[in-house]
Amino acid sequence: MNLGDVQFTRRAGMLVAELTGEIDLSNAESVGQAIAETTSNLDAGVVLDLSALRYLDSAGIQFMFRLREQLRTRGQSFALVIPAQSASNDALRLAGVTLHVETFETQRDALRSAAADRDDG
Amino acid sequence: MSTEDSRFPDRPLPRGTGQAILPPVELEIAPSEQVRLLYSLSDPTLSELELDEFLDELLARVQEALSVDTVAILLFDEASQQLVARAARGLEEEVERGVRIPIGRGFAGRIASERVAIFIADVDHADILNPILGQRGIRSLLGIPLIVEGSLIGVLHVGSLTPREFGQTDLAVLQVAAVRAAPGIERAQLLSALRHEQRVAMVLQRSLLPKQLVEAVGVSVGARYVPASDEVGGDWYDMFELDGGRLGIAIGDVVGHGLRAAALMGQLRTALQAYALQGADPGRTLVLVDRFVQALPDFAMATAAYAVLDPDTGRVRVASAGHLPPLVVGGDTPRVVELIPAPPLGAFPYGHCSEHETTLAPGETLVFYTDGLIERPGIPLTQSIEAMLELLGGQTSVDDLCHLAIQQLVPVEGLRDDVALIAIQNSPVPDELMLEFPAEPRVLSEARRALRRWLRHVGADRDQAAEITLAASEACANAIEHAYSPAPARFTLHARAHAGEVTLTVRDGGQWREPRGEHRGRGLTIMKAAMHEVEANSSSRGTEIVMRRRLHP
Repeated sequence: MNLGDVQFTRRAGMLVAELTGEIDLSNAESVGQAIAETTSNLDAGVVLDLSALRYLDSAGIQFMFRLREQLRTRGQSFALVIPAQSASNDALRLAGVTLHVETFETQRDALRSAAADRDDG
Repeated sequence: MSTEDSRFPDRPLPRGTGQAILPPVELEIAPSEQVRLLYSLSDPTLSELELDEFLDELLARVQEALSVDTVAILLFDEASQQLVARAARGLEEEVERGVRIPIGRGFAGRIASERVAIFIADVDHADILNPILGQRGIRSLLGIPLIVEGSLIGVLHVGSLTPREFGQTDLAVLQVAAVRAAPGIERAQLLSALRHEQRVAMVLQRSLLPKQLVEAVGVSVGARYVPASDEVGGDWYDMFELDGGRLGIAIGDVVGHGLRAAALMGQLRTALQAYALQGADPGRTLVLVDRFVQALPDFAMATAAYAVLDPDTGRVRVASAGHLPPLVVGGDTPRVVELIPAPPLGAFPYGHCSEHETTLAPGETLVFYTDGLIERPGIPLTQSIEAMLELLGGQTSVDDLCHLAIQQLVPVEGLRDDVALIAIQNSPVPDELMLEFPAEPRVLSEARRALRRWLRHVGADRDQAAEITLAASEACANAIEHAYSPAPARFTLHARAHAGEVTLTVRDGGQWREPRGEHRGRGLTIMKAAMHEVEANSSSRGTEIVMRRRLHP
């Protein structure tokens, strides 16, 4: 069994990556790489949905930040979906990440916000 | 060579210019010498030999009895309708080169098709197909068919390097050898075909059972397979990991024996695991496997049971397709899991298979078995199941349980049916956790699972368990990632609870390094945020991180 897995869909011009299982030092890099490789330059950005993720640690947080940087240099947006009650929220909260990164309760919120930003830009 | 003087005066066989077809002859009254020779062909100890040894020995005795230079046996291969050289003396190259003679052609081919003895006085003037006979310098040949119950088995022939008139007695001796050889060959062929099938089935069976059982946190597993006394059957057991740390445990029994049952077993085992990995629940998994069996070209039937265990909670869901109910043993209430089985796989298509849920308390063991273990003539199955429950009910060790079951329940005289047994225990949770791991990232999830389970055992609530586990995993990741050179190394995770406070110690043999970059700093941030106290002690012998958290304010 894979410890963690990622599934992709494209919605409203965005690549939506839904993570399941657990992300830690053992698989964070390969999951991050899979997302980076699947992102095309036609995508307006990436929505990373952690709602169904059961575990996330600092190695996972690191890959998220790296991904955000990669996207920013290509002019693509990045949004995190983390319901307050999700397991991965623990790590983000304890690491102080949620204070600095905009997160959304649902995919729909994230996609709507991304579309609004594009209209503004 | 020829010892004419010591032999019974022989009437010559009729000889044609090329070859002569001979009618069967009566063996004339033989002197003691011939009795000895004939007896040597009928020696009962020959029957105990394997086919190759048997043929070699028989040919040696024919060669001696008839004082001939060459003896050969060609066996009839029904598939190709050819004679295949199988054993020879003085003509070994015939076997080595795998000489094949089509039925109906040449010397041996005609003996086979016409089922008559043929004598060739002069090879030069005869229709000989096999060039080796000529190359070897054979001058005269005498051959007869090997027949058992009207079926052609092969051809036996003898040859002489000097021109020789074979006599009636020669033919008669050869016939005795043929009569002796043919059933032996047939029996040996059947035996060797059977042994071959048994061997193949055994290898197949072994290759289809899991080589080693999954090792998972919080469970202990044991399994046994015992073949029946005379052949393999179609019993199997299996265990595999599902997502979320859950475990699938399967057992099954294909109706029938031998190669076909073993092969079908392999298909069913694979099908079941494939559906289970797709995420199907136990009942649904068996419904899908039943459909799979229905779709097989040949009618097949099997029973199977499948369970999914969540080691974190001990909860187990079980479904059965005609399979005997599992037991739960080793706890306060040993019991038979009362489930409503669906019909056996392959019996008829069904759309539903009900599931039964039970919980394994820490220390309890779920036991699956096949009917070979308890089926005894004249004893009702329910009675046998109760007896087994009585026998295994108090077992608290999976290894002991498997050992006891096989030792006590498998009859001394062997099994009529094969037996599969798999037992999975929800391991007792220790009051103090002491784990050692190789310093590799893949062990992190296992460490977390073990710790979560332990934390609940000592009274941490869900959120506390999640946060403490996160802190511990960060400390373990630190030990793996930064404390080592690439050489193999290990680290330990120690957890104990005292007066409402949990203390975790992660110890490694490497040198502490200051956090590098944003990422490591974040790991330490998480540890400090999740725990009330975090201290790192480093010495030349290694680094330890000690963390404390009060569970109750």
